[in-house]
Amino acid sequence: MHILIVEDDEVARDYLAKALREVGHTVDVAGDGLKGLHMASSIAIDLAIVDRMLPKLDGLALVQSLRATGRKLPVLILSALGEVDDRITGLRAGGDDYLTKPYHMSELMARVDALARRGESGNTETTAKLKLADLELDRMTRRVTRNGKKIELTAREFQLLEFMMRHSGQVVTRTMLLEGVWDYHFDPQTNVIDVHISRLRQAIDKDFDKPLLHTVRGAGYSLREDE
Amino acid sequence: MAAWRRRVLSADQRFLGLLDTSPFRIAIVYSMVFACGAALLLGVVDFAVSRIVDGSTDNLIEAEVQGLREQVLVLSRSDFIELIEQRSQDQDVRGAVYLMVDPQLRPVAGNVPAWPKIGSNDDKWIQFKVSVPFGDETREHEMRAQRFRLPGGYRMLVGHDVQERQDVKNLMMRGLIAAVVLTLLLGLGGGFWMGRRILAQAGAISAVATQIMRGDLSQRLPVRNADDEINTLAREINSMLDKIEQLTLGMRTVLDSAAHDLRTPLNRLQATAEGAISGLVPGSPERKVIERVSTEVDHMRSTLDALLRIALAETGTVAREPVNLSELVASMVELYAPVSEERGIRLESSVAPGAEVQGSRQLLAQALANLLDNAIKFTPDGGHIRVLLRAFGGTPEVVVEDDGPGIPADKRELVLGRRVRLDEARKVPGSGLGLSLVAAVTKLHGARLILDDAAPGLRVSLKF
Repeated sequence: MHILIVEDDEVARDYLAKALREVGHTVDVAGDGLKGLHMASSIAIDLAIVDRMLPKLDGLALVQSLRATGRKLPVLILSALGEVDDRITGLRAGGDDYLTKPYHMSELMARVDALARRGESGNTETTAKLKLADLELDRMTRRVTRNGKKIELTAREFQLLEFMMRHSGQVVTRTMLLEGVWDYHFDPQTNVIDVHISRLRQAIDKDFDKPLLHTVRGAGYSLREDE
Repeated sequence: MAAWRRRVLSADQRFLGLLDTSPFRIAIVYSMVFACGAALLLGVVDFAVSRIVDGSTDNLIEAEVQGLREQVLVLSRSDFIELIEQRSQDQDVRGAVYLMVDPQLRPVAGNVPAWPKIGSNDDKWIQFKVSVPFGDETREHEMRAQRFRLPGGYRMLVGHDVQERQDVKNLMMRGLIAAVVLTLLLGLGGGFWMGRRILAQAGAISAVATQIMRGDLSQRLPVRNADDEINTLAREINSMLDKIEQLTLGMRTVLDSAAHDLRTPLNRLQATAEGAISGLVPGSPERKVIERVSTEVDHMRSTLDALLRIALAETGTVAREPVNLSELVASMVELYAPVSEERGIRLESSVAPGAEVQGSRQLLAQALANLLDNAIKFTPDGGHIRVLLRAFGGTPEVVVEDDGPGIPADKRELVLGRRVRLDEARKVPGSGLGLSLVAAVTKLHGARLILDDAAPGLRVSLKF
């Protein structure tokens, strides 16, 4: 995938570019907003990572100009601001996701992956039936089966599983789950998400040979079929 | 507190509200004073006028009596009768009345049909009524007269028609009453009108104040093109608001740059550490050191996030929207239920439906998360936590109760300050900013934060 990084902090930019290249992406970098906008408009870019505060052209203005010209590529906004409302303004300006500095590379990678594969897995927001291996989830009837056997889930476990299935094969971080399933944007001090996940794991994996819900060390979770 | 709640008044309440405005009250007092003044003035005038008019009538009668007393001594009875008849007919002397009666009180001469049977016959002054032709009808006229004895048992009455004077008096009295009533009506009407104006202006001001409290600092009070007190006051308040907006935006800018200047190097540090980790053998001492650095960056980030959120809440520059408090509390309880069950802690909740507040959902969620984190941290295994959302007449109250060690009464104020961790709490992890953030968020929402003894344990309640 071709990724454009628009970031004025050289150190952070270089590490980011290196990390993205290591997992096989093609990376272009720009050090200011104008250059970033120029590159985003002239090169075939699949995804852009844009810092919010940039010299020459502000990150939000860049995203707005990009959207104004009809470019629909996914944009991840990085911000070093105070948060709370900044996230909303960032998303309103046309960003698809928003990450506050300092971030873990694993968090950023997971989000880039989610943005890049949005709509690709077939399990999109509009699909009525989500499927992974022998696990099936019907959004209309709210029925979950594995290997044809019905699995009883609470409303929240259902939502959690639905989110995981829409991102099947990807790494999903704890903050992504808290944002995507609960719509909260804070770091809980306790391991609240882990406990929810372990309950879901009990429900869907316990009585079956092949586990589907995996823990990705230092990053989060992944719902996938192991080879 | 009802700061963000618009008061919705019924028509009755609005009318009563009008009666409660200061112009209306002033108008009532002034109308009363003015009406009393008018009544007093007219009373004095009436008294003076009647004294003068009555006095002159009485003098006239006295003189006539005196004259007739003299005449009766020199004239024969028939001449005296003729004199009386003559005077009775005299058209020039308007309103004069005479009556001469014999000892049996039968009229002998004069223009009064019958001897008035009032009081004792020897009373000097009497007032009585006589039917007087008035166009085609007759009218009862008030007469004032003196009676005296004539030689031979005859009696004489000399008087004057005072009906006209009475009419004037009545007219004056009616005028007086009308004037008082009119003054009161005008006063009340004026009071109502001014009261409505003031209410409208006050309503506009409180609507703007509500919006400003909601965080929209660009709002200004409406100013009319007049130099009255309210407009002058509104202008002064507006320049004060300019200043506040300027200061708050300045504060926000400082916060943003502080955030930026701290987050950027932290981000570099994190990126560098993570970059280094990937090149090191897992478990090696070097890698452990770098991992430690990365963990510390995480701690710094949490503390920075908490501090920034506190500062944002305290400057009040957070956008506000209606927040479904019932949904929020229920979902927070649901989020924390499994983690407390892991510790064998029973998390009970009772959430009243339909509670709504104006504010920031994310900050409220963070505050609740801090309270629940704390409760779970300090409650012993197998303990129990209660979360309540009560709603009394639109003022919701959120209560989180645990049966942990609680906070001694003398230290409750203290823990709400920044970075205070009681000695007993040092062994559990945390930044010590949890309750400070709860306090800032509570204040931002115009709510009250109360720490109490749950005997045993801590009861924290947020009263909106």
